[in-house]
Amino acid sequence: MNSKGIELDPELSPKVESAWLFYRFQALAPQLVTLDYTSNPGVKVPYEVISSMPELKDNPFRERIAQVFSQDGDGNMTLDDFLDMFSVMSEMAPRDLKAYYAFKIYDFNNDDYICPLDLEKTMIKLTRGELTPEEVGLVCEKVINEADVDNDGKLSLDDFQNMILHAPDFLR
Amino acid sequence: MTAFYRNQEYEQESDYPDFTNSRVNLDSLNSPDYPYSRNNSNNLKFKDNAKYSSTHNYPNCPDALNSPDYPGAEDYLDNLGFRNHQEYPGSHTNTTFSRSQRTPDYPGPRNSSHHSRSKHSLDSFSFVMIPDYPGAKDYQDSREDPDDPDSGSNAYRSSSKNYPHHPGSLGIPDHMGTKDYLGSRNRNNQNYPGSLGIPNYQGAEDNLGTPDNWGSAYKQNSQNNHDYSYSENPEMGNKGHHSGLFHRTLGSPGRGNRDYPESFQMTSRQPTSLYSMHPVPDRDGEEKLIASLINLPTRDRNKIIRNQPLTMQEKRKIKKKVNMEKQKSANQSIQLNYCTQCLTATALHYRHFKSVTSEFFQSLDVWQRTLKIIGSKFGTSVLSYFSFLTWLLKFNIFSFIVNFSFIIIPQLTDPKPNNLSFTGLELLTGAGSFQQTVLYYGFYTNSTIKHKGSNTSYNMQLAYIFTIGLYLVICFFSLLYSMACSFRNNFINPHVYSRGTAKLVFSWDFTITREKAVKLKQRNLTTELKENLSEIRHENVITPLKQRLSRFCIHLAAWIVSTGVAIACCAAVYFLAFNNMKFLREHKNQAATLLLPFLVCCFNLFVPLFYSSFGLVEKFEIPRHQVLVIIIRNIFLKISIIGILCYYWLNSIAVSHEECWETLIGQDIYRLLMMNFLFTLFDSIFGEFLRRIIGTKLIKSLGVPEFDIARNVLELIYTQTLLWIGIFFAPLLPFIHMITLFIMLNVKRISLMMNCLPPSKVWRASQMMTLFIFLLFFPSFTGVLCVLAITVWRLKPSAQCGPFQGLPSIIHAIYGWIEILSNRPSYLWVVWIYRNLIGSVHFFFILTLIVVIITYLYWQIIEGRKIMIKLLHEQIINEGKDKMFLVEKLLKLQESQKKTNTFPLAQERREQEVSLNNGKSPGQKIRRHGF
Repeated sequence: MNSKGIELDPELSPKVESAWLFYRFQALAPQLVTLDYTSNPGVKVPYEVISSMPELKDNPFRERIAQVFSQDGDGNMTLDDFLDMFSVMSEMAPRDLKAYYAFKIYDFNNDDYICPLDLEKTMIKLTRGELTPEEVGLVCEKVINEADVDNDGKLSLDDFQNMILHAPDFLR
Repeated sequence: MTAFYRNQEYEQESDYPDFTNSRVNLDSLNSPDYPYSRNNSNNLKFKDNAKYSSTHNYPNCPDALNSPDYPGAEDYLDNLGFRNHQEYPGSHTNTTFSRSQRTPDYPGPRNSSHHSRSKHSLDSFSFVMIPDYPGAKDYQDSREDPDDPDSGSNAYRSSSKNYPHHPGSLGIPDHMGTKDYLGSRNRNNQNYPGSLGIPNYQGAEDNLGTPDNWGSAYKQNSQNNHDYSYSENPEMGNKGHHSGLFHRTLGSPGRGNRDYPESFQMTSRQPTSLYSMHPVPDRDGEEKLIASLINLPTRDRNKIIRNQPLTMQEKRKIKKKVNMEKQKSANQSIQLNYCTQCLTATALHYRHFKSVTSEFFQSLDVWQRTLKIIGSKFGTSVLSYFSFLTWLLKFNIFSFIVNFSFIIIPQLTDPKPNNLSFTGLELLTGAGSFQQTVLYYGFYTNSTIKHKGSNTSYNMQLAYIFTIGLYLVICFFSLLYSMACSFRNNFINPHVYSRGTAKLVFSWDFTITREKAVKLKQRNLTTELKENLSEIRHENVITPLKQRLSRFCIHLAAWIVSTGVAIACCAAVYFLAFNNMKFLREHKNQAATLLLPFLVCCFNLFVPLFYSSFGLVEKFEIPRHQVLVIIIRNIFLKISIIGILCYYWLNSIAVSHEECWETLIGQDIYRLLMMNFLFTLFDSIFGEFLRRIIGTKLIKSLGVPEFDIARNVLELIYTQTLLWIGIFFAPLLPFIHMITLFIMLNVKRISLMMNCLPPSKVWRASQMMTLFIFLLFFPSFTGVLCVLAITVWRLKPSAQCGPFQGLPSIIHAIYGWIEILSNRPSYLWVVWIYRNLIGSVHFFFILTLIVVIITYLYWQIIEGRKIMIKLLHEQIINEGKDKMFLVEKLLKLQESQKKTNTFPLAQERREQEVSLNNGKSPGQKIRRHGF
């Protein structure tokens, strides 16, 4: 589709300029990714490089983001993963898709629920550990109280999306 | 046939009064009339229930009726009790199955049902315990799918059919089935309308891995479908509707709300079924997706694929598969003839062209990049100001284009000499040589512009009034539309999460990328959370009366002072304005005209600063209230100043027998706008810049200034109001405003980057934007409409200049036009429309009446929905409790079973179960227990 021989479908990644992203990807690790992408399509850029991107470097959730979008779960990304990440993070992506991935980002232990432990981790990332453990506990309790519709003590994707439905400020 | 079957059963059971009378009873629920008559009376969703009655058509599974009766809370409770009473963790389906299987074997229906239940209870327990109860939630989903009675009943029936082969495998297959059902519905509707049951075995395959079993079940199911021919089913008509709904929900699940208001619950639940818990769907899920995609147009298909939570590789794979399938089916059906090939090729080219052009236009969108940078550094709240600014800018570009093409260009073809010289001061005052240009009303001719040599003519009077009128109408509707959209998106049931700790925790703004901003945001969040916590802690502590009194006094004093200041400002403007004319006659100097705008701008700049200093004394419990109060005070000040000015213009200048009063008003507005622009520049350059220098170099404690969103946005609203008033008196004003807005955008951006910090309070950007658009609509635009209406209907236009010279009032231009038209037979419809619709009081009376009635109806619907939401919310909570209770019970049973692993004891347990099931009022017991 483009001159570099990689098959990118611009209609699948919402209005993200795929070629531009490829160059971004290539520039991240020029020694790993060659310009002739077809020769080695499965090449992975390690997490350290991904997390040093300007878009992610200061994000407190960078590790989670990389983990969620990488297929191996360790944050090492192929070009496809990279494109996925950008298409979800782009402002054109629908909110429900974003909500889905946000849920995954907040779900630290990958058990498909945001449990109090996940919440604590989130809180620590958000506040850089400035709250006391007691306060963190209180906030977690409060959050679960507010958003847990089915009273199972943890937030399912349902609960999360329901909450997001009521909060237009999310995930712009 | 089916009805007969059921009735029979009902009659049989009516022999046992304790069964029929207690609603909680299983069998009485099966009776077709009894529960539903109750439902309908209590139920808000009458229509849905009516649909459900159609599920009676499934004789094999009379208990399927139990599933859809959710919306009525009362019924629901009973039902809950019923379910608890059974102590069947696998929910209805277990009982259903056992009943439907066992009933034929035993002649006595009552005995049989209970007996069979007791027989199966152990099996079901032993199985359901294992998969940690996965179905319960999804099961709920399917139950809450009000538009889709088929799904529930189908799932149930299929599962009940399934059981004979796998008596132990209760619960799971049908739950999984219902979960997947949504995805598969489309396929059924489109490709296999006869065999609705297939996808239910989706999950069964995964969990059980017994393909032969579900194969047979599948057969049975499809047979069933043939037997109870769907074409006679009332739901048949719904199929198209379903597929459409599915399609929409897939594309953007949350938005289903808009189009199907009755199914709000459904849409809020459905996304889960779409994005099932396992992000990578199994092969069959994929196949279903592909099958559902084949028949969609390419664009929708791509959109749906794009919005799947899959990785790029999988998306690509799906797309390829869909294309292959499509080709296959196309090859099978008919060979593509040349024409269709041509068409598809054209369509492809067109799409390619469209994507290329859209990319091109995107690259042209100069502000997008700027906005992105701002968003990344300051977050969405500051971004909202800039997007409002660009929105206004685009709006003004539009109004400029309209005015330019319909008023200014025709006037330019009929030039008049301008013999005044340009001095430079005109840029500020708008007077002097500008007076004789297209900028002002007075320059326009009242004649009909005719081109030499051609017959076409252009009536300037009509062009002027229609252009401005249509522009205002467009403004009105676009404002109304954006306001309504904004309301709908941002005020969806704001009462549910009052405190919003959850929102705070999950509100991380992923757009922010700069380190400083990230740290700041983190700090803000921390303080906000702490505030929130302290509020929670002190919730129960009632502030002492003395403190409350003093706080109230402070608020009162602040309001009195602020209102007083506003009134004083208005009075000052009033006296100055009315003395201004005398003053201007004495001083012929152009610069003297700048006195009034200067004063007004001073008020506008300094009084809001004074207001915000109230924050030092006035303490609000909720920080958002502070913002709201400041906005209300500022808008009051600005709007009353504009009101006084309008009064001055309409009551003093317009009746002053000046040579061309419209031009004078236009000049006044021009001066106000220019002065305001200069003050804004001054404010951002000196205010923010100096403040930063002072804050960072001299007084460190002050720190870097924050970007004050409220004040800046109000400034924009103020200038826009002025512009709307001025557009009648100076048609070229949007052009000038466009330029000033453009400069302002850049200056503000640079100043923001250099000097400012993001606001420290968590700012609910979207709700505030709604408020701002509302303010722009309500006092601002409606006020402008009033002013212009008075000008058009009441005031006498100046006699020597402007397009309406010589008329008793501006509206007489229209009257005259209608008079002329009524003499031409071919235009009589225009006259008719005018006389009967636009000019008729009765028409507007009826219109108003209809609007009021519709509004009232909607109001009532909203009220009903609110109650509904409350009930449903309670229901969800109860479901959760129910679930927890059952899980507990299960665990207990499991333990006890482990302990007593000998058969006779287990038998005893079963007997206990039976005796428990036969209890007199088990529902009540459970209710007491569970709630």
